[in-house]
Amino acid sequence: MIRTKSRRDAFKRLFYHGVLIALSIPFILPLIWMLSTSLKSDSQIYLKGGQASSPVSIKALIPHPVKFSNYPEAMQTVPFGLYLRNTLFLCTMTVLGAVLSSAIVAYGFSRLKFKGRDVLFYVMISTMALPGQVTMIPVFALFRWLGWYGTFLPLIIPAFCGNAFYIFLLKQFFATIPEELSEAARLDGASEWRVFTQVLLPLAKPALATCALFQFLGTWNDFFGPLLYINDPNKYTLAYGLQQFMSSYGGKWASLMAGACIFTVPIIILFFFAQKTFIQGISTTGSKN
Amino acid sequence: MAGEREENGKGFNAFLALAIVIVAGFAFSYLQPQPTVKTYPSREKVIFWHMWTAEWKGVIDKIALRFNESQDKYEVIALSIPSSVADSKFLLAVAGGNPPDVMGQWSPVIPKWAESKLLQPLDGFMTPVEWQYFQKYAYPAAKRIGMYKGKLYGIPSGMNAFACYYMPKQFVDAGLDPNKFPDTLEKLTEIGHKLNRFDDKGNLTRIGFLPSQWPGVGMYAPGYGGGYYDWKNDKLTINTPINLKVLTYLVDERKRLGFDNVLRFESGLNSGSSGSVDWPFISGAYSITLDGQWRVEQLRKFAPDLKYKTAPLPPPAGGPKNYGWTNGNFLIIPKGAKHSKGAWEFIKFWSGIAKPERAAEFYTWGGWIPLFPAEANSPIFKEYVKKNPEFQTFLNVAASEHIYPIPPVPYQVFLSDRIGRYEDLAIRSRLTPQEALEQLDKDIRQELDRRKRYHYND
Amino acid sequence: MKKNLLGYAFLSPWLIGFLVFTLIPFVVSIYLSFTRYEVVTSPVWVGTANYGEMFSRDPIFWKALVITLKYAAVAVPLGTVAGVGLALLLNADIRGMSVYRTLFFIPSIVPMVATSVVFIWILNPQIGLVNGILKKFGVVGPAWLADPKYAFWSLVMMGLWSVGGSMIIYLAGLKDVPPHLYEAAMIDGASSFQRLRHVTLPMITPVIFFNLVMGVIGAFQYFTQAYIMTSGGPEDSTMFYALYLFNRAWRYLDMGYASAMAWVLFIVIMICTGLIFKSQKKWVHYGG
Repeated sequence: MIRTKSRRDAFKRLFYHGVLIALSIPFILPLIWMLSTSLKSDSQIYLKGGQASSPVSIKALIPHPVKFSNYPEAMQTVPFGLYLRNTLFLCTMTVLGAVLSSAIVAYGFSRLKFKGRDVLFYVMISTMALPGQVTMIPVFALFRWLGWYGTFLPLIIPAFCGNAFYIFLLKQFFATIPEELSEAARLDGASEWRVFTQVLLPLAKPALATCALFQFLGTWNDFFGPLLYINDPNKYTLAYGLQQFMSSYGGKWASLMAGACIFTVPIIILFFFAQKTFIQGISTTGSKN
Repeated sequence: MAGEREENGKGFNAFLALAIVIVAGFAFSYLQPQPTVKTYPSREKVIFWHMWTAEWKGVIDKIALRFNESQDKYEVIALSIPSSVADSKFLLAVAGGNPPDVMGQWSPVIPKWAESKLLQPLDGFMTPVEWQYFQKYAYPAAKRIGMYKGKLYGIPSGMNAFACYYMPKQFVDAGLDPNKFPDTLEKLTEIGHKLNRFDDKGNLTRIGFLPSQWPGVGMYAPGYGGGYYDWKNDKLTINTPINLKVLTYLVDERKRLGFDNVLRFESGLNSGSSGSVDWPFISGAYSITLDGQWRVEQLRKFAPDLKYKTAPLPPPAGGPKNYGWTNGNFLIIPKGAKHSKGAWEFIKFWSGIAKPERAAEFYTWGGWIPLFPAEANSPIFKEYVKKNPEFQTFLNVAASEHIYPIPPVPYQVFLSDRIGRYEDLAIRSRLTPQEALEQLDKDIRQELDRRKRYHYND
Repeated sequence: MKKNLLGYAFLSPWLIGFLVFTLIPFVVSIYLSFTRYEVVTSPVWVGTANYGEMFSRDPIFWKALVITLKYAAVAVPLGTVAGVGLALLLNADIRGMSVYRTLFFIPSIVPMVATSVVFIWILNPQIGLVNGILKKFGVVGPAWLADPKYAFWSLVMMGLWSVGGSMIIYLAGLKDVPPHLYEAAMIDGASSFQRLRHVTLPMITPVIFFNLVMGVIGAFQYFTQAYIMTSGGPEDSTMFYALYLFNRAWRYLDMGYASAMAWVLFIVIMICTGLIFKSQKKWVHYGG
């Protein structure tokens, strides 16, 4: 281990924190505004002169009085519990489907050699290049013909067919795993599937976790899909509820921000605890620091 | 270097976190009470899509409930869709063969959708008596909104009328008689100048009267007998002397105050869109402002102590007393609707073709202009007007022959977009009013040429 | 032969989805681009009329294309530099790093509806946060979203605010760099800057490559913020290609024309990504 003088170390650390804090200000300030507005009451937001209050002072950022009731009120204006359940159901299904299927396909593209592999990969990339607006009608007609209109199926089944974004991502990650490990397993007599599940998957956990998180986020935020294919209000999702909420309460900033915060908090919690998996490195040689 | 030590076992953290969030979420969701809705399982279901939200959604639900209670053959199920996506959802549903049975719309879509055979003509559902009644008694503007090429495609369920709201106190402070609202546009403009207020840096602190940017020419030109459309002869009239005069007026008024000055002043105000207490007029930011009749209901609910008055937009000297622009909500029945008879019954119920007195009540709930004089004159509505005397101004405007919606051409959305664009460019002084109208005219001619090339039947 | 079968077996989830949900709609939309199609009526064949109109008689088409190209040329490099830079900073072993990471990541997960509202408020010319801060320095801020010269850049700024999303991917990539390479470099006496240049950056080029391709594809299809916040204005300064396409498809019911526009965009995107793919060999380093 290289020893450094502890004082120089401390100074470096302080400097580092300083840089990070300075950089984070433009990212955080809007968030702080969101949070503080969500706790304000209408009287603080709409000053008497009809002028919206000027937020450029520390005082203006602090809710006064603090109105926690904005949150329960926001939750009661839409069938929150119902929407939450539907959303979680969809999230679970799509995460399972997308991560599993994308991993399988990515393995095929990255670790196996076969005829037409590169061409097909390029075709897959190209499927992301066409704006969805123009395929909406044929896709919609297709789902209708299958009898899936009005159900969750159009939102779930395609997730099990791999997702170009995740396949591409995983392919890149798989490519960084040394070929020797797979070779060793094959020499030991393992089938390709065993190599995949027992050698590659465990090593790719950070990448798989990234995909899972993104898919969860994507489904959580998706309101257009449910809107298009579902007509039963009992099946709607939180994202749809938020959209409705936003268009209902156009000028009521406090409620709007409270709704947005409620919508975002579960993801923040998820990410905060899931981080560890991203920062886990691959110990390929088994050596630890 | 000291590192964060991770063993492979902890690698499941992300997935564990995911699982916990999901399970916790499920558990939490059951703590919320389930909403209950009354349904009639044995009846024919009429699916109704609309874009109303917030307190208006409540009104719609009430109307649907009343309809369901008034007969026992159909059940109307109302679904509120966010307006930003309602059109795509509706179009896809029609294309896919699963349209709703009736839809409440307010965008300028009737000509285009009628031409594309998306809508069913409603006069086909009417008995000859009903059709006669509609033709004879519906307000002229209401007929113009809903009709295309002689057929009726949309029954207006709530027309909008615009008039001036003003602050008597500010009149008094400026030495003007609050009971004598100016009777010509010229006098109004003059008074508007008098009522502007600035701070010592030259920034606006109050606007007296500023003719609105949207609707622009469409609102003021009928006062001169002009506009973008000649309704008698079914022709577009774009680059005309009257339109030029009106556009120049709008541009000059804004230039007087300074475009940037007005922009900054207005962006410092609340948006007024939430329909509650944040309408800037309430705070006195405008002495006189042109706005729609729904504000009357809002003011009654959220600012009942506000002392204000209303008056119709005065015409230029010699012009008609009540004039202007209008739009409104209307109900349409798409092609392929499976329960179109039920849809028609619902429309009849709401609009009051069969029983105007019964329907009059619905209009009071929404603060909407009714469709027929019989509704406006019914006891319930008269009672409402008594409580909100300013509403009478808007009824007068709505009944007038001189209010016009957007020209009923199949490329209506395109036209509306282009009008907005060129009027905007003129007001921002990027083009002179003359140039703006010439280019608008050119664009429309190009579009007409294009339609010929594509074999549209115009 | 067996190798081929095995390969296709692994590809099967995607292949099935592609054939059923993607290929047919793609082919249909190519057909539609040669028709006049108003969504509900049957398509009417018009040959190459749509393409002709687009290239020779539609100035808005060109304007939209230029704006979108400009956005791609600006936003993708900026986003890459910002994403990699932040990831490098946040990769250090300092206490509280997980808090910082979360803070930078949150903006990218706030739902678009809320972000739009927040930024409309922050960029308000009169009472917004940004102009308020500028005022404290004695500068009169522009009208941002209401100013044709600044609206585009406001949207670019908004895009950068959500750089946390790609930052996460870079972080995951950084953590994948085998430690023994660092050890070897340090034994060789490399400074931290040299380690950065010769170990870190090359080892994460696969991830950079990924974000570059995805960034380009995403930039060309930029739509939602312009739709919600500016509707293409003011003065068409934010009329992005995908927004114009949307208008033509759903507002003017000109679905045939919109399909033609979509396929032109497709070709543009494929050319750009093709170039990036071709350049792979020069700078992307697949380790292992």
